[in-house]
Amino acid sequence: MAKKAQKVYTVGQINTLVKVALEAGLPSRFSVVGQISDYKRHFSGHCYFSLKDPSGILPGVMWKGKASKLKFEPENGLEVVATGHIEVYTQGGKYQFYADRLQLAGVGDLQLAYEQMVKRLEAEGLFKDEHKQPLPAYPMRIGIVTSATGAAVKDIATSVYDRWPCVKMLLCPATVQGDGAAATIATAIKSINKRNDELKLDVIIVGRGGGSLEDLWAFNEEAVARAIYNSKIPIISAVGHEVDVTIADLVADARASTPTKAGVIAVPDMEEVLERINSMQKHLQRHARNRLEVCKGQLERVLASAVFRNPMWVLNGPMQRLDETTGQLNDVLRRLLETARRRIDAAWEKLLQVEPHRLMGQRAVELGRLESGAAAAIKSVFAKKQLQITALENRLSGLNPKSVLNRGYSITVNKGSGKVVLAVSDVEIGDVLVTELADKQRIESEIKKI
Amino acid sequence: MGQIKKEKELGGLNFEQAIDELSGIVASIESGQTPLQSSIEQYEKGMELIKHCREILQTAEKKIEKIAQEKDKK
Repeated sequence: MAKKAQKVYTVGQINTLVKVALEAGLPSRFSVVGQISDYKRHFSGHCYFSLKDPSGILPGVMWKGKASKLKFEPENGLEVVATGHIEVYTQGGKYQFYADRLQLAGVGDLQLAYEQMVKRLEAEGLFKDEHKQPLPAYPMRIGIVTSATGAAVKDIATSVYDRWPCVKMLLCPATVQGDGAAATIATAIKSINKRNDELKLDVIIVGRGGGSLEDLWAFNEEAVARAIYNSKIPIISAVGHEVDVTIADLVADARASTPTKAGVIAVPDMEEVLERINSMQKHLQRHARNRLEVCKGQLERVLASAVFRNPMWVLNGPMQRLDETTGQLNDVLRRLLETARRRIDAAWEKLLQVEPHRLMGQRAVELGRLESGAAAAIKSVFAKKQLQITALENRLSGLNPKSVLNRGYSITVNKGSGKVVLAVSDVEIGDVLVTELADKQRIESEIKKI
Repeated sequence: MGQIKKEKELGGLNFEQAIDELSGIVASIESGQTPLQSSIEQYEKGMELIKHCREILQTAEKKIEKIAQEKDKK
């Protein structure tokens, strides 16, 4: 049998043929339902997974650009409706489903995304009570982060002002719905925190009115949750309706179930505060008055004591003592005067006994006596002295060298030399001698011979 | 002059501080332990604080101000 030469293809050629045949026979975009398995998000951001059902398995890919738009994180076992197209991956020798959209088949994907976020942030501890900041009791400046055009801003403001008109509210506008809304909300919260030295807000209310889960979605996003968590200023969430609990509600320091309830959570009731102040005023007045009454009572009791009732009672004792002392003093003085007077009288008596004229006579006689006495005494002293002088004269005259002349002696003097001649040598022949005699006469003689 | 100074002192207090101080004064006078002189002083202070609190509550300016964006400011 002659064999017809069969055509030999290259792998590339076959794969290309398969690709063309396969892609030509399928709709360009379709949806397929299945359960996710072998899910893997590559670090590049691309997601790889398989869709399976009891009959088989379909490998799938979701590129990064599409995957990042997913609200929820795909998980193995999730029933999904994937939309996309089939292509042959020639390098891998397999056909793949390229998904551009992934939706949850059962519950909504947003619901799932929400549940996943709650789980993750809860695990991280963002909802814990210990991270909740206490709300100020009397906020005076409140920041509102919501849409400038929505109904929420009015609802919040009215609910706050109704209770607490003295507050000042500042609106920080943000987009609260649609793409990019979460970012504007987060940015608003961060920016208020950064500027709070100047804004001086006591609390921030973040919220919007009711809507679908999709409408409220911005408040379920991580960026908002983190901004609320990191805010130094306490945050009250006020999102949607009573039944809606957003991630923002869980992270916030307090939650108002709706914007219209924000006031109840954020501010005290003015009436109650005024009531409290009034009661404190009454309290203060009553107790201050009581305190005064007590003190007044004390004072009255003191005043009622004997001392104050009869002030003289205090004075009586000292007065008596003063009287006594004065009496004693008078007595002493009187006695002193008495003694002095008696002494003066005695002296006067004595004085009277002496008769002055007699006294004078006596004195004169006495004086005369003294005078004559003195004269006699002086005379006798003179006489005595006279005698003494005479005796001395006599004794002295005995010592006169010339007195011996009376006894026959004479004194010879050499007239030439003037000297008394005591020896022969005192004279020479021819000298003239002068001889003094007792009668004081002198004889002159010449020496003729020696 | 003294009055102005007093008001200035109180003006520095925010509502919360004023209420807290007021409560403290009430409790102190209530205890009856404070000497009369300081009781009177505290009473006067208390009355000032009450006035201050009321003034704060009465300055109601119902108006929402938009916070200027940082970019616009700088």
